[in-house]
Amino acid sequence: MTVKNRDDRQPGVAAHPVEVQGLVKRYGRIAAVDHVDLTVETGGVCGFLGPNGAGKTTTLRMLLGLVRRDSGSIRVFGRDPADDPIQALEGVAGFIEEPRLYSYLSGRRNLELLAAFDRSGAGAAVIDEVLELVDLRERADDRVGHYSQGMRQRLGIASCLVRRPRLLMLDEPANGVDPAGIRDLRALLRRLAGQGITILLSSHLLAEVEEVCDRVAIIDHGRIVYAGSLSELHASAPPRYRLETTDPDQTRAVLAQLSRVRDLDQNAGEVTFLLDDAAGSIELTQALATAGVGIRTLVREEETLEQLFFRLTEPDPPENPHAVVA
Amino acid sequence: MTTTTAAAESSTRRRGGVADTVASVMVAYRWELRKLAAQKRTWLGIAVAALTPVFFLLSIQFSKVTPGDGPYGDALGPNLRHTGLAIDPVVLVEITMIGPAILAALIAGDIVAGEDMAGTLKTILVRGLRRGQILAGKTLALFTYVLAVVLAFIIVGIPAGIIAWGFNPVTNLNGDRISALHTLGLTIASLALYTAPFLAVASFGLFLSVVTRHSVAAVVGTLFYTVALQGLSGVPAIAWIHPYLIVNQFTAWYGFFHTPTQWYLITRCLWVSALFAIPPLIAAWIIFQRRDVDS
Repeated sequence: MTVKNRDDRQPGVAAHPVEVQGLVKRYGRIAAVDHVDLTVETGGVCGFLGPNGAGKTTTLRMLLGLVRRDSGSIRVFGRDPADDPIQALEGVAGFIEEPRLYSYLSGRRNLELLAAFDRSGAGAAVIDEVLELVDLRERADDRVGHYSQGMRQRLGIASCLVRRPRLLMLDEPANGVDPAGIRDLRALLRRLAGQGITILLSSHLLAEVEEVCDRVAIIDHGRIVYAGSLSELHASAPPRYRLETTDPDQTRAVLAQLSRVRDLDQNAGEVTFLLDDAAGSIELTQALATAGVGIRTLVREEETLEQLFFRLTEPDPPENPHAVVA
Repeated sequence: MTTTTAAAESSTRRRGGVADTVASVMVAYRWELRKLAAQKRTWLGIAVAALTPVFFLLSIQFSKVTPGDGPYGDALGPNLRHTGLAIDPVVLVEITMIGPAILAALIAGDIVAGEDMAGTLKTILVRGLRRGQILAGKTLALFTYVLAVVLAFIIVGIPAGIIAWGFNPVTNLNGDRISALHTLGLTIASLALYTAPFLAVASFGLFLSVVTRHSVAAVVGTLFYTVALQGLSGVPAIAWIHPYLIVNQFTAWYGFFHTPTQWYLITRCLWVSALFAIPPLIAAWIIFQRRDVDS
């Protein structure tokens, strides 16, 4: 599956930041990653979503060369990290689960260490610049052990930026960050994406993903269940309707008979349901009119990313819509 | 040639080759030293090494131990209180192989496993140095720590002994008198030789640090390893193997205090130490290169 950028890729431009085909990683009998195909195109922020244990962190580990794959292929900017991790990961930075830095060294010392390990020649000016960017310059000489969780997350992002990446892989960067920090992080990610950095963002915060990502890949039980733009994902889901009538019980009974109505639910005086197509709304209003039920309001609602996420990653509801009616 | 290809080839030239590898290892080595210097346990190990001869010296000076008892029975022990040059060799005997094993395990067991447990290993492995270069830097830093421990032992122990008991000649293991200056040279040579099995134990600790991924397990494992080898060295049925056990190389420096010098003890210490150090280092290198970092 391909997670496409909004802008088509120009021919002749370097390879995709990430191209994965048939990727498999097993731990004993369990396939943590099970034949994953994923392409992340240049530019923008791509969300990488999945429940706990779905395989997203293992996938990121394989992309960063920390874990060996059992089968399949990985290309990062056209190179296989297994062949030459140093060259393949040039221009790539990221952290897994959360940034882990040396608690007994200062923030600045940590960045100096990592810049030295990059052998990129990034000096004090670059380090000051990224510290400024993540708003840590004032605390740069304090030991990381004295930092709050949010400050560590920001330092983790700074440690990635020291590398001057073209691709950033961030795993739960908002963990432990307060609301103001999340707002700043969101702005930072947008700014970085605006500078041409491709960002692969793994997160549980679906609202955040919806705010900053233009594309998403959703993984469940080691398999990609959706990859594409957010707008396509929203468009792919049937709209949910909220209906208030003069007789909710009668309404529920009427709707339960209609084949185009799914996922029927009733909450006090309100009935909610999915409609497979627009023709369904005509059928619905006719059926209610025939039954003598008056419509007070009928509201069409787009599903949130969270609702879409659960639809894709949780077991299908029973076929019979009556079974889910309270 | 496209710009991308040219950049890749330029990068290939930049990354690779012996000079680049050495430079990368030196980067890792320098930063490992800085990390060790920032950790209390490093200074604790060095402080213990520095203070142990002072502790022994004071306990002998102020105790009621009479010649023939306790440390007086050790190699060069009869020289105690007659010359300060005897204190370091006697302490080497007293601390047996457990002393260096503890000091080596303290750092060796933690140097990889500690980072694995703290998660910093995955942070440094996704940067610009190869795994082998990082491990080489860690190995060199570990060996530097061992040298620092021995150096602290020399720098504090010998002057402390001289201040307490003077810079006088020593009676060696054959009963021959050797000058103070000659003894000083032999003591330094002895401690240099002592470093060889010390490094071998540290190498095994590093191996356990890579394999176990757990600091405590690696530290305890290193101690258990030396104690087990010490146990083997007491089994009469395998007496033929005793001279080739690493624990028995900690007394090879006796060779310097014989007349004539027993070079076979010294050379055997060197090659046995190498034999006990190199395989664990190679195994650690292979495992570290291939292992998944999924902590």
